[in-house]
Amino acid sequence: MTHRATFGDILHAAHQSLAHRRGEPPPTRGDVEEVSRSLLQVITILSRYAQDTATAFSDVPHHTPALLSPWGRGRAQAREALTHAAGFLLRPGTGRPVWPGPRSASPLARRLDEMAACLAAGRDLLHTHFAPGPHGGRAHRSEWALTITSERVNRALLAELGALAQPIAHYGANVALAPVPGTPPGADQRRALNAACQWLWVLAASIEAASRQEPVPAADRQLLAAIPVHALPARPALAAADTVPSLCDAVITTAERLRYLAWQSARQPPWAPALTATSLRQAAETSTLTSHHCALLAATLAEPTASGAFPGARADLDAAARAARTARGTWYQSARALRQITTDTRGHITPAAAEARDLAWWTGRLAYADPAWTLASGPRCAPRPPQHLAPQPDDVPQVVAAVHQATDALALLADTEYGQLHGAIQAGRIMVPTRTLTDDYDIPHPYAPAPEERTGALLARYRDATQASRQATAPIGRAAHATGAPSRVLTTAQEATQTVGPASPAGGLGDHDSNRGQDRAEDMTGPLQRTLLGLGVTSAALLARGASLDQASQQLLIDAADQLPPAHNRPHTTTLNKTAASASLFNHALASGHPQAAQLLRQPCQTQRAGPEPELEPEP
Amino acid sequence: MKGLTACGDRLRQAHGLPALLDAACDAFEVILTVIGTYEDATSTGMAITFLLVATRAANARDAVLFAPSLPPRALHPRQAGQQPERGSAPDIRAAVADLSQLLASQLARTATTLAAGPDKAACHDAGRYARQIHDLLARSAP
Repeated sequence: MTHRATFGDILHAAHQSLAHRRGEPPPTRGDVEEVSRSLLQVITILSRYAQDTATAFSDVPHHTPALLSPWGRGRAQAREALTHAAGFLLRPGTGRPVWPGPRSASPLARRLDEMAACLAAGRDLLHTHFAPGPHGGRAHRSEWALTITSERVNRALLAELGALAQPIAHYGANVALAPVPGTPPGADQRRALNAACQWLWVLAASIEAASRQEPVPAADRQLLAAIPVHALPARPALAAADTVPSLCDAVITTAERLRYLAWQSARQPPWAPALTATSLRQAAETSTLTSHHCALLAATLAEPTASGAFPGARADLDAAARAARTARGTWYQSARALRQITTDTRGHITPAAAEARDLAWWTGRLAYADPAWTLASGPRCAPRPPQHLAPQPDDVPQVVAAVHQATDALALLADTEYGQLHGAIQAGRIMVPTRTLTDDYDIPHPYAPAPEERTGALLARYRDATQASRQATAPIGRAAHATGAPSRVLTTAQEATQTVGPASPAGGLGDHDSNRGQDRAEDMTGPLQRTLLGLGVTSAALLARGASLDQASQQLLIDAADQLPPAHNRPHTTTLNKTAASASLFNHALASGHPQAAQLLRQPCQTQRAGPEPELEPEP
Repeated sequence: MKGLTACGDRLRQAHGLPALLDAACDAFEVILTVIGTYEDATSTGMAITFLLVATRAANARDAVLFAPSLPPRALHPRQAGQQPERGSAPDIRAAVADLSQLLASQLARTATTLAAGPDKAACHDAGRYARQIHDLLARSAP
């Protein structure tokens, strides 16, 4: 594996910020002022994420759904909720945070600080795939940039924000409504903190409502989690690669390196001296070899002894072998056409061409039985038998992933090599040896600019290689899905960047991630039940009665929200939180995730924080 | 095999750096032409070997092409209507291997006689590629 940090790693850490940890105080207590300050940091970053999904990449053409679509509405409501939540926490002097910020002492504030740091790091990770572009826009630094700006990944991201918002709201509201004896009452701050948490519940409910109408497929969440930091993975070490799994890892890492370097090469100007015929030939020659190795590997995997556990993948593996052979032929013809030309500089090898050679080397090591195989050994060695390539059914997905990654990297390389070649032709850098020209040419020089018929033929061969390499990714991508290979995110990424409008769940409705609310049971303890527990009541019957009364009161509030007349001048949010008891009831209704409950907070004309806030009345 | 044989003869008879570079440049071109004739009709394994050989031949030709002492025009212009080489794939492989060995030795020897500069580098590079061609073909022998 490449061990590159992924967005999923950071997201997991963010989710874990509020989890119970052995030996640490639970995040249930905290100083209201500290928690408010820390929560504001979290909300600020959540707002930036939400903004990213809507406008930050406006220079990138992507399909933003109409406002009235479920996700368009959900996104707008989420942003609105975050604005209101932040509005309650912003106080004079909090707009410009000091750096470094004061260290939080209370448990919840510390955990929220952790979460803010994780979320900021995650956003930074996503932004590594972009660079400042011309005219103030953004330029893509990797093929992941298109994935990040895709609607499907944006929905997955919003779903994650919603999932994070729920526990934050739960713990934050607990602190707001449970003043610690002996500490200053801070009624305003507690009320504001609770109101901010209520808006976080609104955020979660808005996203959940969109998810219910157009579920986020689990594959899209996996794709979001798989987005790696934009960095060149370390070159695999030869010494460590002596088994099939380690060779697969080396192929995957080299494929990722090749994608990174190919993208970098594509950004070079056409006059870059490293673009030489030597380099182009090496890339074409070694891509022919890699395609050949992929064909061998796919054919070996398709044999019943290897793919017996995955009968559904056999046809796709056969097709993958055929497609790789076709790609091999087109790369071969490109290499052949390159013999007819040269460039005005020579000798240099681009990093991408060097990596393409490594990929041929590693795929060859995996494909052939000879453990000492090298490129110089050539193709006349015996292939690795299926029982050695994948002795156990569990071994098949990793080999499929290696072939898939290599094939995908070649598709990108073909694309970028074509672009570079095209630029070099435009810049007049492609030459021919004059002694290979017909007698019609009388040029007193060993080389001269290539005539159009040669450059045209060369570009045509590269177009074929690009098309065939891209087509080769389809059957191996299907095999990756059929075998559960980790590389299947590549196919999801490809689909995500091509999908217009709502994404279709890949595996039907059952495929969407329904795990988001699994920890909600704890949150759903109602105010009456909590009071009973606080009194030390353990009777199951009494607790059940309390729960059912809580549920009834929750439903009553939701129904009431549904029946508010449109023009009704609803009370201010802080008025709703006038007493801790009423705030508890509203919190319980909002925590239900019912979208209608948000109407309790929304007003026809939103003018939050207008006028002086009422004082918190003492509990009766 | 006449073209390959003729290239070998010219290399042996070349006097002076320009003549050697001219003969080497033509020899690499002939190797490319011969391979181009045979690679479509051979097995996948041999075709890939030919691909590796041809890439090195093209790189070697380019190395010579940019040598300052290469005559601006070919000393022996190609004759129109030349017949393609005849022979089996193993015969062609053996003939190209022999010619590349000769190229490697002639170019390496010449490189040692030259002062540091682009001509020396060209001879050195082209000779190295010729050696690689020979090694590839020798290894692929049945």
